[in-house]
Amino acid sequence: MPEEPLLNAEAWVDEYGDMLFRFASYLLKDQDLAEEIVQETFLAALKSKDAFKGQSSEKTWLFSILKHKVIDHIRRKKFKEINMEAEDLGKTIDAFFNDKERWQVFPAPWNPNPKEAQEFKELLDIFYKCLSELPERLGNAFGYREMDGLATDEICNIMGVTTTNLSVMLYRARMLLRRCIDLNWI
Amino acid sequence: MRHWMFSCKEVSQRISESMDSGLPLHQRMIIRIHIMMCKYCYRFRKQLLFLRQLGRYSLSLGEAAGSALILSDEARERIKNSLKAAH
Repeated sequence: MPEEPLLNAEAWVDEYGDMLFRFASYLLKDQDLAEEIVQETFLAALKSKDAFKGQSSEKTWLFSILKHKVIDHIRRKKFKEINMEAEDLGKTIDAFFNDKERWQVFPAPWNPNPKEAQEFKELLDIFYKCLSELPERLGNAFGYREMDGLATDEICNIMGVTTTNLSVMLYRARMLLRRCIDLNWI
Repeated sequence: MRHWMFSCKEVSQRISESMDSGLPLHQRMIIRIHIMMCKYCYRFRKQLLFLRQLGRYSLSLGEAAGSALILSDEARERIKNSLKAAH
């Protein structure tokens, strides 16, 4: 009797299609578009199924692909591509501190109440919007680390950067992302 | 605030680093003492931890965001057909 294949693309649609669709619909506020993104997610998963080593669950893996697709879509929709030079980014981050390296743009207090589902959803909405506004490479580095939970050496391999470079990229991504949320979350 | 050896800027960099790899014990101690005395670095650390939570939260939201919303039969078939064609 032939062994059951590890990945069965059509069974994915029945098992995970609705879940992915709900999440994409929520983030994109457009059900037709959400269907397309779900389709793209499954196609991308099929294409890269040999790379899936079963380290995470199928569900986690598919959600990771979906989240990257959603962010790509939001990013593509922007009229103006944000493509800050590394030097500008450094200056932007430096400006959070004064010449004595103390905070001068203060981090705001975030006190979300986890029981307030609506509040959490709003915050998640802002999070994805802000994430899509990051320069692409920073957004990707952050996504690999904080959404997909990849180890830093894996991310360095994928992105072709050194550990030191990645550390700087993640710091910048986090600084810009938290500042964007500070400004947009009241 | 400059507390001990690290400035706020250095502490913010080390806090970010600590999210990705282990820091030496003495640095961890310096950071711990600094954030006990500096409310902005304390907030910053909380923010980074919360960003991680947001990044990884989506699974449960995807599961919980209203069971009434499902793929139409038509969309389901279309997606399956596209997968068959791509296989």
